Amino acid sequence: MRIAVCMKAVVDPQARIEVDGDGNPRQDQLRYEVNEYDLYAVEEAIRLTDDGAGEVTVISLGDDSAVQGLRKGLAMGAADAIHVDCDPNTLDANGVAQMLAAALRDGEYDLVLAGVESVDLGGSQVGVLLAEALGFASTTLVVGTAAPVDGAMQVRRELEGGEHATVEIQMPAVLTIQSGINEPRYPSLKGIMAAKRKELAVKSPEDIGFATLPEARVVALGMATPPARELARMIEGSAEEAATELIRILREEEKAL
Amino acid sequence: MSRSIWFVAEHQDDKLHLGAAELSAAARALGDEVVAVVCAAPGGSIAQQVAPLADRVLVIEDSALEGYTAGLWTQGIVALARAQSPSAVLLPHAPLGRDLAPLLASRLEAGLLTDCLELEWNDGLVGTRSVFRRKLVARERVATPIAIATCQRGAFAAAAAGAAGTIESADCAIDPGGARTRLVSVERAEVGEDNIAEADIVVAGGRGLGDAEKFALVQELADAVGGVMGASRPVVDQGWVPHDRQIGSSGVTVRPRLYFALGISGAVQHVVGMRESDVIVAVNKDPRAPIFEYAHYGIADDLFKVVPALIAALKS
Repeated sequence: MRIAVCMKAVVDPQARIEVDGDGNPRQDQLRYEVNEYDLYAVEEAIRLTDDGAGEVTVISLGDDSAVQGLRKGLAMGAADAIHVDCDPNTLDANGVAQMLAAALRDGEYDLVLAGVESVDLGGSQVGVLLAEALGFASTTLVVGTAAPVDGAMQVRRELEGGEHATVEIQMPAVLTIQSGINEPRYPSLKGIMAAKRKELAVKSPEDIGFATLPEARVVALGMATPPARELARMIEGSAEEAATELIRILREEEKAL
Repeated sequence: MSRSIWFVAEHQDDKLHLGAAELSAAARALGDEVVAVVCAAPGGSIAQQVAPLADRVLVIEDSALEGYTAGLWTQGIVALARAQSPSAVLLPHAPLGRDLAPLLASRLEAGLLTDCLELEWNDGLVGTRSVFRRKLVARERVATPIAIATCQRGAFAAAAAGAAGTIESADCAIDPGGARTRLVSVERAEVGEDNIAEADIVVAGGRGLGDAEKFALVQELADAVGGVMGASRPVVDQGWVPHDRQIGSSGVTVRPRLYFALGISGAVQHVVGMRESDVIVAVNKDPRAPIFEYAHYGIADDLFKVVPALIAALKS
């Protein structure tokens, strides 16, 4: 089984994020890390090919910040990596999906896994749009997979309120992976060393057939700082003092106890 | 030009999801006509249930539409949208919409806005959503003739029921053989006797508790206040507590009289499930944790000191 896993470099949520005069995040303040959900996807792909009957390719579209994620994927056990070298801010979700599809099209993948969303922008649409661009079936919010049988796979999909659906999906397919599905491994030293010898192919948009970038279906109008919310009434003092005061308020003022 | 705004009716076991009223309100503010689209097996009453929320209900009925499957719902809705050209199609930012909306967007060559907090019509559909973990909001406009959007649960005030709209049976053939996904089964959540969705007082714990053993402290406080124990997603993912305890976007939405958030940072996925609670108390040692923006009362201190002190204070 050949599996590709999409990875994205996301802005570290702990970083200070402010907007410039044009409504763009100030780039000089941004730090990048691998999207957490994509690590669940890498881990699941490696487990699905554990028996030696398959290989995992990791792919990322982005500028240089994409490389660290791919290296991590390789160190976790992926066989090779593709870096589509392109500024993601020039593309909408459909554009990203079109370019990833172009880079993956000749790879004869049975399965493509992607994190359910990115933690920075949270669009949660590239996975399914990529499936469509490749002509693959898709399902989302996957929290469990089973070994494929006769070209189809049963997956567990998370619904709301603790409910789950079992969905049978024909391969080739794209699955978007939700947290809770597994515990991603930490790359071993051996894995990190081995990753240095693995192939990391860099492809420009031209290399994969895009002389011009795909036309955007969604146009960004800018970002802004949300209106400040009123903060909680903070109760000060030692833990005992604060606890006593809080219980008094809840009993006497709020009549909630 | 008049605008027809569609929303996809979400339902289960012949019961319309309450979120339909929110989508109806969002649609009403955008267009001249509000249309509810129902995909269902014959014999149900979803069309009648959603009619007071729409001017017109389009019903795609087929025995193959028992339960949600991406492929068949896409077939039906795409065929209708191609024939009638709505200006926009709205869905919930929930398992249904997160699966279906990008499929509709792809087939209809439409731009998609997700997890919208606000929508307006301004030379096209314009949506606002939170990005960078709520540190910023982004505005985007759809540039295609049809726009698709998913709406965050709770972001739009529910529409009141009006006069029942007309119900039309849509004439579109569903080909079950054409679907590459099939719903095998739906597994209900096991709900204990202390159902958090109906509790007056909820005491919820998060990652700040550290491990499964220490999580017992949450139950102790719940017992002391006569409440029910809940949890944020990371805690459920870690297996410290069962799935039916999870509060938030993929768990349960609660609206108790009193809500305690212990060691919960306040990620949007959690907040959407509890922000409507009457009184919210947060205990977190990080005074900058976003949960304090939603809480009415906060204590920025070590919960392992504060919670035992709360239990002691309750007994005095």
